[in-house]
Amino acid sequence: MQNNQAVPTLDISDIQATVLRPRPSPYKGEYVVLRIDEAAQGREMLRRIIPYVATAEEWWVPSIPAWIGIAFTYQGLKALGLSQASLDSFPEEFRQGMAARASILNDIGENAPTNWEYPFGTSDVHVALAIYSKDDKSLEAVLKQARQTHSDLPGISVVYRMKFSELPEGRNPFGFKDGLHNPHVEGSGVNPPPGYAPTVKAGEFIMGYPDENGQTATSPEPEVLRRNGTFVAFRKFHMRVAAFRKYLRDQASSPEEEELIAAKMVGRWRSGAPLVLAPEHDDPKLGKDPNRNNDFSYLDDMNGLKCPFSAHIRRVNPRDALKDDLVAVNLHHIMRRGINYGPPLPEGILKDDGVQRGGVFLLVGAYIKRQFEFVQSQWVTDGNFIRQGTEQDPIIGNNEGDGIFTIPKRPVRRRLHGLPRFVVVRGGEYCFMPGLRALKWLARFHDKDYNSKTL
Amino acid sequence: MANINAYNSRILCIYMSNSNVAQGKVRPGLKAGRSNEFTLINKLKPGGAERLRKKLASDSKFGSHNQVFADQIGTLHDLRFVIFDNDTRLLFATTFDGDWDAYIDDFAALVPDLIDLVFEEVEDYPGIKSPDIKDFIVKSQVTSTYFYSAYPDASVRDIRKAMKVKSGLDVLLDAASS
Repeated sequence: MQNNQAVPTLDISDIQATVLRPRPSPYKGEYVVLRIDEAAQGREMLRRIIPYVATAEEWWVPSIPAWIGIAFTYQGLKALGLSQASLDSFPEEFRQGMAARASILNDIGENAPTNWEYPFGTSDVHVALAIYSKDDKSLEAVLKQARQTHSDLPGISVVYRMKFSELPEGRNPFGFKDGLHNPHVEGSGVNPPPGYAPTVKAGEFIMGYPDENGQTATSPEPEVLRRNGTFVAFRKFHMRVAAFRKYLRDQASSPEEEELIAAKMVGRWRSGAPLVLAPEHDDPKLGKDPNRNNDFSYLDDMNGLKCPFSAHIRRVNPRDALKDDLVAVNLHHIMRRGINYGPPLPEGILKDDGVQRGGVFLLVGAYIKRQFEFVQSQWVTDGNFIRQGTEQDPIIGNNEGDGIFTIPKRPVRRRLHGLPRFVVVRGGEYCFMPGLRALKWLARFHDKDYNSKTL
Repeated sequence: MANINAYNSRILCIYMSNSNVAQGKVRPGLKAGRSNEFTLINKLKPGGAERLRKKLASDSKFGSHNQVFADQIGTLHDLRFVIFDNDTRLLFATTFDGDWDAYIDDFAALVPDLIDLVFEEVEDYPGIKSPDIKDFIVKSQVTSTYFYSAYPDASVRDIRKAMKVKSGLDVLLDAASS
């Protein structure tokens, strides 16, 4: 797969920051979803908001106190007045929307789109805004600016808003240090710590550059719209922290065993230390060390005795674990931009308090079908690829109180039963995140005096 | 009694999978449990039948590689190439676990030559790496009218594992009774 091509220079002043850069830490922010009822007003809003959209170049030294990312659904592009020919050139899965793909994604039971929060699963989701900042004051300032781009336009409605903020120590609601791995994009201008090999071709995450097949995306049309753009699968989920704690308490005979079982399900200890490097006891120093906590291979764990085959991180990012099977893992990478929302559940509470908490993932990739959809359908909601029958991911799979989780062990494997659903999908959608020039084109393409060459 | 219930539930399983097509769902091919049937029928190029027989002979490259190839894919229960209609047409039939299009990018990336080797004898075949390959497959696919599987809920990997376990158990029982 290694082409001896020169590494392409990424146009980081044109690529939106969310695609290439992690969100700030600590972070506070909001997601806002808009519906466009009048095309010209939609384009006017876009004209006004473009100066606030962060690029990958500005990320480290932003000239504004907060960062905005903007993306459009198929319905949103249609509402902006994009031509039918251009709309038809988008891939089928994007045109259908995430809800219509439920049978492929195995979004069933409580995850089914009929159970999603409004507006997800409806055709009212047009524009998604991601607004990040480091503190409340900056956030409020940028939210005010963002509001001003559409508050005087009656044809634009806010159909959804949610706040989010980092939990203490960057942990997720289950108490795990999160966001420790993302694919390293060739040419992204950052040198990653060890363990992020192999570098992935830019075209897997940004259109306009060669991908892992040596091809450069030829859709959507026109070229000015797709260049430096990408797709984002937005997915909001509720995390049942009390249920997770209670399950561990019921399965274990000591607090140490609870921690071990939790680590076996995730593939890392709560500190972030990977099981492959710390198979029996947590190693918080290792968990904290970015030069070591992601530097591991499954080659010395091909029997799953350290990290179970079914563990979450081994499923969603198999690395070299599948080397004996006919699967090109380099075609199935996802860039994950995650945030958490809701307050932490106080330690020791095993009863649900009814408070909304969980995460929102932006799963970035140029090929929705062979990236997000493949991982979800083949590696998360099924076990055949790891010879575990119909066993699903213990953390995010469809377990309805009948789930099983296999922990390879000598002399006899341990199998946990009765896994409930720990994570519930509350909504999601497929969005297209254009480059800056494409955004300007989208705002102007209808104008009679518009000439895209003057951009 | 138990046997009749098992028999009835399997019939129900097949009935339900046939109704996928009856309801006019877009995906061609029938399912039985976790198994999918996949049948392609194509016209062979002039001389294609003869060339194909040589290519698929047991001493050929394909013939000697196919077990490894199929084992690494791990989801094919069986597959067959049938040349018929006086050497003018080719039928390719297989039963496999999961969706045919999920792994097609992987096959195109890792074993393009093996697939092209056979299908290049077929009229209008664009090549496994062509962006038109999925359209070609859908056009060539003929959905079965009826599909039965002897173990609809077992994948190839499940079955192989079960056979390994049975072997091990036999050894254990023999040792215990000696």
